[in-house]
Amino acid sequence: MAETRSHYQEELERLEASALEGLDMVNSALERTLEAIEHQDVELAQIVVADDDRIDGRYLEVHQSLITLLATQSPVATDLRLISALLHVLKNVERMGDQCVNICKVIPLTGNEPPADEEMVGLILTMGRHVRSIDNQAKRSFQDRDIELARDLVRQDDVVDNLNRECFRLALEIGDDADKREWAMTMLLAARAIERIGDNAVDIGEQVAFVVTGLFREFEDASHPNAFSR
Amino acid sequence: MRRRDSTETTPMTEPNPEPQASPQVGAPRQGPAISVGGGRAPHPLKGSRESGNVELRDLHAYYGPNHAVRGVSLAFDSGAVTAIIGPSGCGKSTMVRCINRMHEEIPAARVEGEVLLDGIDLYDPRIDIVAVRRSVGMVFQKPNPFPTMSVFDNVTSGLRLTGASRGELEDRGREALLGAGLWDEVKDRLKAPGVGLSGGQQQRLCIARALAVDPEVLLMDEPCSALDPMATLRIEELIGGLKERVTIVIVTHNMQQAARVADATAFMLNGELVEVGPTDKLFTNPDDDRTEQYVTGKFG
Repeated sequence: MAETRSHYQEELERLEASALEGLDMVNSALERTLEAIEHQDVELAQIVVADDDRIDGRYLEVHQSLITLLATQSPVATDLRLISALLHVLKNVERMGDQCVNICKVIPLTGNEPPADEEMVGLILTMGRHVRSIDNQAKRSFQDRDIELARDLVRQDDVVDNLNRECFRLALEIGDDADKREWAMTMLLAARAIERIGDNAVDIGEQVAFVVTGLFREFEDASHPNAFSR
Repeated sequence: MRRRDSTETTPMTEPNPEPQASPQVGAPRQGPAISVGGGRAPHPLKGSRESGNVELRDLHAYYGPNHAVRGVSLAFDSGAVTAIIGPSGCGKSTMVRCINRMHEEIPAARVEGEVLLDGIDLYDPRIDIVAVRRSVGMVFQKPNPFPTMSVFDNVTSGLRLTGASRGELEDRGREALLGAGLWDEVKDRLKAPGVGLSGGQQQRLCIARALAVDPEVLLMDEPCSALDPMATLRIEELIGGLKERVTIVIVTHNMQQAARVADATAFMLNGELVEVGPTDKLFTNPDDDRTEQYVTGKFG
């Protein structure tokens, strides 16, 4: 039987690649963000904030093209599930970019003094690097339609959650100095933002499962954490 | 399994297909639409829709040596719309034409297997074929009102064979036109020729003609393929309303139409039933790869 609708299929493949490239953009923003944290580099932080327009632009462009495909091609079955998933992924990617912006906006608040707590900075950098690897894993699981790899994101994200709690503990123990406490609060915001980027990557993994199986189910239910079993 | 050759019956072709109530056969309708061996079952209550269940069991259909339908087993539930989709030549129209025994009208055509309407085999030798056509109405691709008849005579053509009184003809003709969503448009021109209506109106006239004899099942073989989008939408809306009173089986090339109107959808390929299931399931997450390939337009 003859292959048909090749243009439509090519367009859908192009849009998937374009949406997933958004994860690469997030990772490069996150890399700069970590560098800005490490060196308290306010200029670099401003570049990340300005550069987020590219991630937002990617979101708008791919979103519009997906809506056009819905309107003109009446996609069904796997194609429909893929488009629905990509719309979610785009939103996740856009939010991940926003979290980098959130961090970069608070970096000037940490002042020019050396970090009040090297251990806490080290934890945040470790978190960030781990989240970058989670982002890559989310992208690969989507490209390969690999549910097991997608599910493993939950396990990877647990590591990040634990690091985040560790940051919180360090912040509590930072002492009575008002400047130090302010610094610790600011860094907690950064840690929290990085942790949220990881959560968005897990959400992308859930979309992988939806594309493959047609069933949407949260890998982990934040409201009922104990009800979850793998 | 029976084997049946029916070359003795009148050959018939698509452009002027026989309406569900053939004007050539004068069998007055008395009591039940379908019965076996003279026994009369009570007439099923319209609206209850406990009747009108169709079941195909290992149905095979042939055109001479050509094996067009290959062992299809499928149930059409009363009160539901079932769409049959599949590429040209997959046997979907042939399968549907077996349900009201139209297939056997073609020379050298034959049918094997069973077609049950509420448990009664329509191919039972004791079954009156006129009663089959009355119980299982059909609407075709191109509207085919009787060219010499008025709107009213078209609608009541099947009824008149039953010896209905003038008053009864008027009541049931009006009811059928209302049912087909055509009454308001034609009530002032009932005496005008049926072929003077627009294409969409003509098709609804044919639906009204089918409904007038109170069928259990309505077969629709691409009923909208000759109509413009607005007329198509009117027919689709009508289908949604009619399923309360008649089991609907619709053959369509338009997959979006199947998605819009059908409760269940069956996909056929090369004479075989590949997959049947709830329409939303078939169009979001089909089980069979071939269904997936077809509905996403990768072949067809």
